[in-house]
Formats: sequence, structure tokens, C-alpha cells
Amino acid sequence: MTATGATGRPVARPDLVLRRVGSEWVLYDAAREKAHVLNLTAAVIWTYCDGSFERASIADAIVREVPGLDATRIKDDIDEVLRRFADEGLLR
Amino acid sequence: MRVRRIAVAPQVLEFASDDPFAARALDALYHAAPATAQAPTLRYGLRRSGPGEPGGYVATSPARAPFGPAALGDAWAFLEWRATEDLLGGADRENVFLHAGGAELGTRLALIVGDSGAGKSTLVAHLMQRGHRMLGDDVVRFATAEGRFSAVGRSLKLDPKSLPGLPLIAGKCAAGVVGTLLAAGCYYVSPAAIRRSWQAPAARPWAVVLLDAGRRGGPGGVERASAGEAAVYVTQKVLGDAADGAAGRKDVTVSILESLADVAAYRAIGSDPAAVAEALEREAAA
Repeated sequence: MTATGATGRPVARPDLVLRRVGSEWVLYDAAREKAHVLNLTAAVIWTYCDGSFERASIADAIVREVPGLDATRIKDDIDEVLRRFADEGLLR
Repeated sequence: MRVRRIAVAPQVLEFASDDPFAARALDALYHAAPATAQAPTLRYGLRRSGPGEPGGYVATSPARAPFGPAALGDAWAFLEWRATEDLLGGADRENVFLHAGGAELGTRLALIVGDSGAGKSTLVAHLMQRGHRMLGDDVVRFATAEGRFSAVGRSLKLDPKSLPGLPLIAGKCAAGVVGTLLAAGCYYVSPAAIRRSWQAPAARPWAVVLLDAGRRGGPGGVERASAGEAAVYVTQKVLGDAADGAAGRKDVTVSILESLADVAAYRAIGSDPAAVAEALEREAAA
């Protein structure tokens, strides 16, 4: 199964709703009546899942946006977060 | 026949009884809610069994077969259960009711959530005894368009074992102050019997307080919890089926999440509700 669309670019399900709650984020899946708590990194990654970013370019963009991040580590985080998104059926 | 209609917008509840003691019990349940002459949307009755029926009491409620004849305590318990469930399912496009409690600490609204028996009522009672206004005991209203929680005038249901830690309320119960009633092994205490201005104004919550039924003993207090997890608890567990009659579960859930955007979350620790109330006061004042 591809979790990142035919082009290898992750695509979020458009029916999901992301809202900030305190310092965390909640991703609400109405179709499955389920809600997921995301940390800031996962929430930022989610915003790049619009089909126009490859994994590597997501990492580059986040490193550019958030100075001081370890580029290697963020790539690992992205892989892990995208795998979880896929496992939970949050990507198209 | 004594009939009392009270407004818990958008619902109008009617309670009727031909028995003076049962009528007093019915009065106690929503004592603080305003009386109204509007047509009822939910009707409840508690009457003595009639000729040819076994002795006891019969409880009636919307869309249910009559319960009884049974002992007064059992008939009352049925009626209270139905009056709560009907209200929790009694949403319209603008309002939903949630199974939660809450109080206003200073100008900050705390939404108190947890399973049945976790101690919501007792904590609300402690906060009221300390001078705070009530959002609700078992039921609170959420206005979906405004994204604000508001008070429901349902009486606090208190275990007699909790009263020794609540001298102000215990004194009123002992004195039989109007709005207090011992029924079926618990006290029903109207917030209006505790303080005249009991009602917290509608607001977005400052905090969600999670009460776990299995809290350990020891020094009580609160610890910070995940706001995200608290929001998920409110939208998934507390909201329950209540949104089904409202504008739509998705819209209600999103509206609640947005109302919790700046919320803090706390988990109560220890078994002393007075210590939890005191700790919450400190957090609200910080």
C-alpha cells in the first residue's frame, strides 16, 4: 500500500479537521468518529500533506521554517509520523 | 396533582405527582431551574399505584413503558435516570447537553469530567462551598454557535459520606432547607440552597479537570495533563450520543474543539476533594 499517493507525495484526507487545543493539536476524523492528538511536529507535518511535497522536501521545508532542528532527525520523525498517519487511515 | 414545569432551554420539563412526598422529591431534582408556563417537551410523573395494582409507586416518562408499581426509591431512580438521559439526548440545532460538571473559579470556568462515581458532584460541592458559582453537576449545556458552556440548574447529587467534609451543605441538609432532600440514599442539594447567585455565566472553559474513578489516596491536588487528550475525552466520551439530535456530530465536535483552543488540562490526584478544590483555586489564581 502506498501511504503517500502515486507520486510519493503524502496526501491528507480532506474530510479531516485539525484544531489547536492548548499546546497540542487534535485531528478529528468524523467518518470514523475518532480523534487523534498530535504534537506540534506532527501537526506541522500534517499541513504539508497536500500532495505537493515529497518526504524530503517536507523535511527541507520544516528545517527552513524551524531553525535549530536536526535535519537527519526530522527526516526520521517524518517517516515515523507519516507511517502513523497511514496506519490510522488518515492519508488518501 | 402537583405539577411543576421548569425551563432547561431548549427543553421544558414537566414533573407531576399526586403524592406530597414524591412531589417534594421531584421539586428537589431541578429546584434551581426557573419555573415556566410554556408547554412541556418532556413529561414525567410519579404517582401512587391505583386500585387493582400492587402497592407502590409508578413512574412515567416519555417514550417508555411506565415503571412500577415499585418502591418509591426505585420508581424515583427510574425517573431520575430518564430525566437525565432524555436531557442528554435533547439537543436541538443550537444546544447540546454534556454529561459533565463545572464551576467558575474567579472568572475562570472549569469543566469537570469523569466517569459516573468519579466524584464530579462532590468536587463541584466543595467548590461551591468555597464560594464559587456552579456550571453544572451532572449536566451542562453547550451552545454550538457561540462555543460556550452554560449552567443547568440541576441539583447536586451527594453521597451522605461526602457531607462531613462539606459542613455548610451538611448544615443546610440537616436543617431541611428548601431545595435539599435526602432520597434513595443520597442528598439532592439545589445550588440555589447553597448560594443565591449560583449560576456561572456562559463562557469558554479555562480548564478541563479529569477525574479518574480509581484515584489513589494520599495528599490530594491536581497535576497538569494533556489538553489534547482532555479535548478528545470531552468530544468522544462526554459528548457521547448527545450530538445526534443537534446540528450534526461533526459540527458540534469541531465547535467544542474550538472552544477548548486555549484550555489547560488537569488531572485530579489523591482522594481528598477539598485538597483538589484548593489546588484548582491556586491554579486559577496563577
